[in-house]
Amino acid sequence: MPARLDKDHELIKRAQRGDTHAFGELYECHAPAIFRYLYAHLGSQMDAEDLTGEVFLKAWQSLPKYTQRGAPFLAFLFRIARNALVDHYRQAHRQESKSPEELDAYKDGSKLEPIDQIGNQMEHQHILKVLGNLRPDYQSVLTLRFISELSPEETAQIMQRSVGAIRVLQHRALFALRRELGTIGQDD
Amino acid sequence: MTKKRHINQIIESLPPAIMSGQETVDSILQKYPQESEQLRPQLESISWLAEAKKGLEPRQGFIASSRKYLQQQIEILPRLNYWQRLFKRFTPQRWVFNIAAPIIVVVMLALVLNSLILTARLSIPGDPFYSTKLVIEDVQLATTYDPVDKLDLYIEFSRERTTEFVELVLDGDYELLPAAANRMETELIASLNAINNVSEQNSKTALPVVGSFQRTLSNEVSMLNILKSTSPISAYPGIELAIEVVKSGVMALR
Repeated sequence: MPARLDKDHELIKRAQRGDTHAFGELYECHAPAIFRYLYAHLGSQMDAEDLTGEVFLKAWQSLPKYTQRGAPFLAFLFRIARNALVDHYRQAHRQESKSPEELDAYKDGSKLEPIDQIGNQMEHQHILKVLGNLRPDYQSVLTLRFISELSPEETAQIMQRSVGAIRVLQHRALFALRRELGTIGQDD
Repeated sequence: MTKKRHINQIIESLPPAIMSGQETVDSILQKYPQESEQLRPQLESISWLAEAKKGLEPRQGFIASSRKYLQQQIEILPRLNYWQRLFKRFTPQRWVFNIAAPIIVVVMLALVLNSLILTARLSIPGDPFYSTKLVIEDVQLATTYDPVDKLDLYIEFSRERTTEFVELVLDGDYELLPAAANRMETELIASLNAINNVSEQNSKTALPVVGSFQRTLSNEVSMLNILKSTSPISAYPGIELAIEVVKSGVMALR
């Protein structure tokens, strides 16, 4: 972890001086975690990809404001990602009159084969269904800890709670998830 | 170590192994058969999340291609100069707050300090702020370097002591009169010393000041006499002491 933080520190300094290549390296390092977090909350892979790009573009624009004495860079990114998700939900809410087919129409450009796309989509829908039935804070803690693989400390900074509170929340969320999996298993 | 803490430690340490596929739920439960009942639901959830993570990975090549696209987008964004970068550090609201907050604090402090000084200046012996008034006067004297200005200050403070004395009589605080008369004497002696200093350096400058001070002291004697005639007998000793002090001042100036 400290090695990653040191590397981030150096890259952020370079990016703040305008080095786009350094920011590209930061992107390559952290984009998968951000993508998984977003995809765990969104119904479409394309939306998650677009939002990932948007998050990093906003991060680049806010980089002059970022001070390394404060929260780690990953926490800074996840805060932007959370805000981007909220904005996305608001926009989606405004467009809810559209049918799901209409909303997914732009997915034609995806590079996945149709058969893979169907399999992937079903798996993803199952994940969304299970996580979506949990309380929002359980959903957040599980996504951040196990899907984005953040440490309890990083999760605590993003969720603005103490590390102890995160451990308790994680414990409860894991039990709740197991119950949910049991219920869904019975339904199926 | 309690069982609960032990289970928590297992749960804290094992997720990376499950997530990377090095361990399975069953292999872990075989290692901890005593805690299997407690561990199983949590480990099964973690195992499910590990599988879910695989399903949520970005598609192959997405990160590399989107990195290029992001860098291109960043390149076409207008470049900020030093001042723009500096101002971009904070939002306009933050700037307003950063500038306004210290100003408000300074203004508030100045108001509080000003009202404190005003209250102290209006105080008379026996008031809580009277000692502050004396300190302020000492500070004024310490920061005045011109002998003539210093003399003016001594005379002003000497008059102030007489005014305080009169206020004490009018308020009926007769027990405080002897102490107030002593303070009048100290201030008068200090004024006379200052007059001596100035006359030694320049007698022409001191002359009008001496004349004015002498008239003031004579008036004060008359005023104190009138005050004595209108005050109860219990105030006499204090007032008489003050009259003696002022009279001795008039004599010294002659």
